[in-house]
Amino acid sequence: MKGSRYLLYIAVLIILLILPLYTGVYLLNVLDIILIYLALALSWDMLLRSGQISFGMAGLFGVGGYAAALIHLQAGVSPLLSIVLGGLTAGFLACLIGMAVLQLRGMYFAIVTLALAEIFRVIIRNFPDLTGGPEGTILPSAIFAGNSTKTYWLVLAVAVISVIGSEIFRKTRIHFALTSIRNDEIVAKSSGINVFKYMVFIFAVTSAIQGITGGAYAHIYGFVSPEGSFSLNFTLLPIAMTLLGGMHSTWGSVVGAVLLGVVSEFLKLQIPYGHLLVYGIIIVITILFFPQGIVGTIGQRLKKR
Amino acid sequence: MKVFNKLKQRNTQIVILIAVIAITLAAWKPHVLIEGLQRACLYAVIALPMALILGIVGIINLAHGDFMMLGAYFAYFFSVYTGIDPLVAIIPAFLAFFLIGIATYRAIIKFVLGAPELNQLLLTFGLAMVLEQLANLIWTSRPVKLSLKYVSASATIGSFSFGTFEFVYIAAAIIVLIGLLFFLKRTDTGQAALAVGQNPRGAKLVGIHVDRTYLFIFSLSIALTGSIGAIFMTRHSIFPLVGAPFTMKSFCLIAMAGIGNLMGILWCSLILGLSENFVLSFRGYAGWADILFFALIVLVIIIRSHQRQVK
Amino acid sequence: MTILKTENLSRNFGGLAALDQVSTEFHENEILGIIGPNGAGKTTFINVIAGIYLPTQGRIFFDGQDITELPAHTRCRLGISRTFQLVRPLHGLNLLENIMVGSLFGKGLSQREARKKAEELCEFLGLSNMTRDITRMTALEIKKMEIAHAMATQPKLLFLDEVMAGLSSDETMEMIALVRKIHSRGMTIGIVEHVMRVIRELTHRVVVLDWGQVIAEGAYEQVSNDPRVITAYLGEES
Repeated sequence: MKGSRYLLYIAVLIILLILPLYTGVYLLNVLDIILIYLALALSWDMLLRSGQISFGMAGLFGVGGYAAALIHLQAGVSPLLSIVLGGLTAGFLACLIGMAVLQLRGMYFAIVTLALAEIFRVIIRNFPDLTGGPEGTILPSAIFAGNSTKTYWLVLAVAVISVIGSEIFRKTRIHFALTSIRNDEIVAKSSGINVFKYMVFIFAVTSAIQGITGGAYAHIYGFVSPEGSFSLNFTLLPIAMTLLGGMHSTWGSVVGAVLLGVVSEFLKLQIPYGHLLVYGIIIVITILFFPQGIVGTIGQRLKKR
Repeated sequence: MKVFNKLKQRNTQIVILIAVIAITLAAWKPHVLIEGLQRACLYAVIALPMALILGIVGIINLAHGDFMMLGAYFAYFFSVYTGIDPLVAIIPAFLAFFLIGIATYRAIIKFVLGAPELNQLLLTFGLAMVLEQLANLIWTSRPVKLSLKYVSASATIGSFSFGTFEFVYIAAAIIVLIGLLFFLKRTDTGQAALAVGQNPRGAKLVGIHVDRTYLFIFSLSIALTGSIGAIFMTRHSIFPLVGAPFTMKSFCLIAMAGIGNLMGILWCSLILGLSENFVLSFRGYAGWADILFFALIVLVIIIRSHQRQVK
Repeated sequence: MTILKTENLSRNFGGLAALDQVSTEFHENEILGIIGPNGAGKTTFINVIAGIYLPTQGRIFFDGQDITELPAHTRCRLGISRTFQLVRPLHGLNLLENIMVGSLFGKGLSQREARKKAEELCEFLGLSNMTRDITRMTALEIKKMEIAHAMATQPKLLFLDEVMAGLSSDETMEMIALVRKIHSRGMTIGIVEHVMRVIRELTHRVVVLDWGQVIAEGAYEQVSNDPRVITAYLGEES
């Protein structure tokens, strides 16, 4: 049973890998966007499974981007390595913030994360010599000299990392810890789980994924800026995707990301300015009417039979 | 003995701290004192309605600042189309936003009251996004401003001058605070609201109509927020995202003062307002003022969780 | 041999003293009953020992070690475990997985080992159909799952907080036999109950709490005739 599942995954992976040989640049670019948001959506869901909401994706995404760009520029580190370091930077910062703030969870944590993007923006604007200030910094060249196939493979790798991360969070003991903490922290504590340590760990890991995604994005587009790198998009879309597709599962985020990714491409062409509104509406509607999302609702219907 | 006991109460401690700071500033940087006071009251008057909802209905409204933004736009267009001074727009704004509050509660908020906090956070976040993007779509992100003669009124004391229009914020803060305290402690509806806030089930058993109370308090809060937007509009240029920072700073104040401590919000707003203006007064460091509220929240959280260690 | 000792244990909530200078001992391998009228502080006692609340005064010694400052999860790993009066099953995990949590984190077993241990506990306690959804269980089965969850951490000291509540007479007898079976594995048990028949049949010694204070200690026959205890409301005779 398990064996055939893995074969399926490998088959899908192979298809995705050889895709560039059969499709044009436009489709690859669309996939790039979908995969980036997929990684963010998965990382958001991974934290959600512990019962905490982060509104800080944009913040950590941007930090990863800036870290990757600046490390590459200032220290001459290769782009790929700088992306990894960007992720580690984001993870490290999240660790510090988490240690300070995760003693009080719920709305306190959520609002602190909401402020993160703005805080990082302010800090970056205040060190213009290092970061290029309000105008941002342009990288000498995009990674892989803009080769869309290699860029696609990079983004695919990032997405695969987050999928693997999400599955690890579902198959190992981490799943048990997350579910216990989410349900009832007192029961979790009484079962031997060090709740605080787990929360900081999860926040750091998911933030690192967001940082790596941001680093990849920065190198692909070749520039970072306070407005662009910390855009609200990067918080809003992943949430809408996961809610739409279904929380607490890898597949949910994948379905949501593909669906909304395709929809957003259409929307961008039809109403160039209004598409963010749609995501907000999606969030409101899913919370009100089907909080389980698509995958969750289908799963429930199947169980009832 | 009584004096000693009073000293231990948190509010008194904060007041003393502020008095010391105020005296220091009056001597050293009077600008900071006056402008900080004005700014503080702006923060307070915005935070109070949010605290009302959080304390009584028990839900955090992440769209709070965006209702203020809508109130500002309302007053702007009201004034532009009717030619009436926008400060007068407070009254129609209050009425309009009371109705908006009722509609929002009935259509949206009501459904997540029983749900976990997660759902409430996500819902009001979604609502905030919808409001911001709607505003962006309709009015674009280009800031709009009315030029009114009286907002640049100023006075001079000795060698420095300061804006006097902004004292309207201080007036507003005091009026709203006293009004709310009076309402909650001296009227039947207010007392009922307090009861519901503390123990909804118990209140229901005594015959208080819980849902109607939630509806009233929520709508009242939105009405106040919208009206404050009208005042805000007279002095500042407005754009769709203008309200978002106020949501976070309001939460900062509520976290500092503690849920249910309305008086404390005034004192904590003084701390925030004075320290922000203090930082702003140093030329090279002006950019850092906007981080202060974040540092304060983190500090409060660290202190609170240490207190909780004693459980 | 004393496995647990409390010295002047006190815990205040606001102005209320839920526990007041409680000094008592648990002897290794005994079944100790903890009784008292409602609000006497029985569950608070368990909560303080388990580490959910820190005491406002006093010390706790477990296996000779001072655990007063240790967090709840560490105490669990040291060997203290408890059931909850209002059962809180973990949604998102099935019956077996609910039990596994204890083994995974309280004992640090691998998933495979934890699964085996959980299956063994299910058999031991008479729980069938282990992979089922937890929303469809009888009261007795939920109690058993709760006990299995607590036992999965392989505790040296197990607190059972009103596990008999809401059970029929037959179910109570089954549960009594189960507790004996658990005890025969070599465990110290603290049992909080309102049903006196259970206390009478199972316990070696009894501690009586009233208003957070210990008002009597000894064998059930001795304690049940103590005038102080009788006046403090003895609870259900059954």
